[in-house]
Formats: sequence, structure tokens, C-alpha cells
Amino acid sequence: MSTWEGFLIALVKTVVIFGTVVQVAALMTLAERKFSAWMQYRIGPNRVGPFGLLQPLADGVKFIFKEELTPDGANKWLFRAAPILAALPAMMTIAVIPFTPDIVIGGRNFGSLAVADLDVGILYILALGGLAIYGVILGGWASNSKYSLMGSLRASAQMISYELTLILTILAVVVMSGSLNLREIVESQPTVGHWHIWTQPLAFVMFVVATFAETNRHPFDFSECEPELVGGFHTEYSAMKWAMFYIGEYSAMTMMACLTVVLFLGGWSVPFWESAPWFVCLAAFLAKTSVFLFLFLWVRWSLPRFRFDQLMRLGWKVFLPLALINLLVTGALVSLF
Amino acid sequence: MVIVKRKELSLSEKLYIPEVLRGLSVTFRKMFEPKITRQYPEEPLVKTDVTRGQPRLVVNENDTIACVSCGLCEAACPAYAITIDGGETDRAIEREPVRFDIDMLRCILCGFCEEACPKDAIYMSDELELADYSREALIYDMDKLKRPKAALQKRIDYVNRINTRWQTPSST
Repeated sequence: MSTWEGFLIALVKTVVIFGTVVQVAALMTLAERKFSAWMQYRIGPNRVGPFGLLQPLADGVKFIFKEELTPDGANKWLFRAAPILAALPAMMTIAVIPFTPDIVIGGRNFGSLAVADLDVGILYILALGGLAIYGVILGGWASNSKYSLMGSLRASAQMISYELTLILTILAVVVMSGSLNLREIVESQPTVGHWHIWTQPLAFVMFVVATFAETNRHPFDFSECEPELVGGFHTEYSAMKWAMFYIGEYSAMTMMACLTVVLFLGGWSVPFWESAPWFVCLAAFLAKTSVFLFLFLWVRWSLPRFRFDQLMRLGWKVFLPLALINLLVTGALVSLF
Repeated sequence: MVIVKRKELSLSEKLYIPEVLRGLSVTFRKMFEPKITRQYPEEPLVKTDVTRGQPRLVVNENDTIACVSCGLCEAACPAYAITIDGGETDRAIEREPVRFDIDMLRCILCGFCEEACPKDAIYMSDELELADYSREALIYDMDKLKRPKAALQKRIDYVNRINTRWQTPSST
């Protein structure tokens, strides 16, 4: 395989994955409205295209043509940089998620459907995931608005608190599979019995809750707590800048759903069919991911918002010790057997 | 004074997770229940006898307008939506409106004009849709307000029924 071929294959993979993530983010806005409607005996958007499927497109066009307002006294550069910083990290982290095993078409091996096969994939995800907070903080600070600032301060406190739990639960899985490489983590759980959800149920529950806090989703969406903070950190944003924050949020959800599947549900592994071809594996991966994406929406339209002190208490007094103990026990058991 | 004691949470409630799952199961079931949305333009509003829509002027069977431009509805209107200019006519009633405008942007559909009218000339129709491209087009003149009596009959019957319900027995 020449250098050019390798470059081309990587380019195709990048375009496919990046395009899919943006599309999923757009469709999630529709799914959010549809599911919320169904849960409230309503129908939801159904006017634009069949079943309202073109609604995200209509929304996108609307966002592009809307007037962009910059508040008086706002820091212009940071105000513009914040939406970009909010949207980018989630899309960049998805680069290391392996969606399929090696793709073999006509006897040729094109490698796994992943932009990059990093040996330190987990570290890369955590490092870039930590950057996502910058978009929120800068957006709130640069707006020169008290509501925005309070929203972003809450978000930063929350994200830092839950990052710990997130890292500790991921570490438990890393200890189990003995690798920081996401592809190897998936390969360490080839059948349903090997899925880490069975060996690490506590870590799984804590990880899922922490992802909700990490992506600022209900019931932990204090950064945009409407009754108290108007819109939180994006109060002053309008038009496409505002949409960027949402693309970021939905990409982060997609990314976290993928990560949950990779870490706990065996990634592309198909239940009871170990030698499944790559496209079946891809379908299995997408199916598992959509379950978690649905969970994000489902929880949002079911539960009330926590109080901020409850959130902090849960994070520091319950999850952190539990995650530490869980890691300790896991480490001890792994080194013993 | 009422003292509300805080309910002591049980262990499963303190753990959140079982309660969260219970809440999720409720919303999941609700997703499959019948929807109550009315798809408005395709499924119009159900109109009953009571429906109090926009005010309309009654046109009698012989194509004459019942209004005598007395101005009571104009005076009763709390939103100052009605403007009447009276004029003479050869008919027995001697007066009829030359101009009868209702600014539908100001009208609050309260029905006071209907109550004030001594000649049963103005009634609240069951017409509810009100949309146009300019403010001027929504100031309705007499031509736009005229309706044959038959079209308003349902509301007329209803108002008559309601009025008689509260009548005390006549002393004469």
C-alpha cells in the first residue's frame, strides 16, 4: 500500500466519521423534540419533510440567517472563540473511537473504522474532554453577563468534580483489559460474557451518571438552569454561535455514548455471533450507541433537576469514594488472579 | 400553623437508582399512549353553540341590515374597536350605518357589543381565523362584517336561550 493510498483511506474514514457525528448531532435535536413530545402525549415536529425529518435542516438554515448579537462590553475575541472551543473537543475525541474491527473488502484489509488507532486513546479522550470546559467558561465570562458567568462557574465546578469519577471508573476498565488503546479494550471483551458491564457494574452505573454531568445534561444541567439563570453560559449567544454550543453538546453526548459502548458493552462485539462480518459489527455498535443516546433524552424528559449542593455531595461524598474503592478492589483482584 | 414534616427517605429512595428507573418506566409507557395534539389546519377547532368568535353584522332575509347605528355597541366596546357613522334610510327604521368598522386587531372578542345591541343586529359568529398580510386589511368594514342571519342562527338561538333562563316571571 503506497503512502497516497493510506492517506486516501484515512481521508475517507475521517470524512465518514466526522460527517456522521455532525449528522447525528443534528438528528439528535429532532429526536430530542420528538421523544419529549411523545412522552407528553404530543406528536412533535412533523411538518418539514416526512415525519419532520428535515427539521434540523430548516433549523440550521434559520440559525445561519439569524442576526448575531454581541453584548456591550463583551470580550469580542473570546466571545467568538468560545462556541468553537465548545464544539471542537467532542468532535476531536471521536477520532479514536473504533467503530468496527478490521474492514476487509475483496481480500484487502482497510483497518478499523477509526480515524486514529492511538495507544493512549483513553488519555487522549480525557485530555481533550477536559478542554471542553473552556468553551463553557469563556462563553460565560466573555458575555459580560452575570447569568452567563454564574452558569459557567457552576458548569466548571461540576465538570471538574465529575471528571474525577469518570477517570476513576475508566481506570477500573483499563485495569480489567490491561490497555489504554480503545481497540484493544474492545478486543478484550469478545463475547457477551466478557463485557465489562458484568465485571464492573458499579463502575458502569457511576460512569453513566458521570457522563450526564460531564456533558451538562439533565438532571445535572446547572450551567443552563433556565428558571435561575435564564440560559446559563449561552444566555447572550444567538444565531449560529448559539447553535455551535448545541452541536458541541450533542456531539459530546454522541461521543460519551460511543465511549460507554466501547468501555462497558464490548464495542462492536455482536451478542452470540463472534465471527460476525464488519458491517454487522458496525450495526451492532450503532445500535448500542443509539440506546445510550436515547437514554440521554429519556432521562432528560423524566427527571427533575438536582439541586447544586446535591450534585456536589453526590460527586464528592458518594461517587469519589465509591470509585476509589472500586478501583482498589479491582486492582487487588486483578493482581491476585 | 401547619408543620409539614419532611418525609424520611427509605434506603432505595436514597440510592436514587431504583426511583430513577421507576420514573423512566413511567415516561416510557407514556410514549405509546394516544396523542392529544390537534393537527390544526387539517383538523379545525370543534365549534359548539357557545363558540364566541368574531363579531358579525346580521343581514335580514330581505337583504337589509338590522343595525340602526344607535352606537350602543360602540360605547360598550372596552377596546374601542368599533367605529360607526350613521345615515338616513327610506326604510321604516329611518337610520342605518353608512360606515361600520371593527378593528379586528383591537377586538378582544368579549361579546359586549352583542349584549349591548337593542336590535339583535350584531352577534358573535363562530369564525375564529384571523390572519392577513397588513394591519389595514384587518380593519373590517361593513362588507366584510355582513353575514346572512341563517349563518349566525346557532349563536342567536343560544343567546336567546341563555337570556330567557335568567328571566324572572313577568309581573303582568
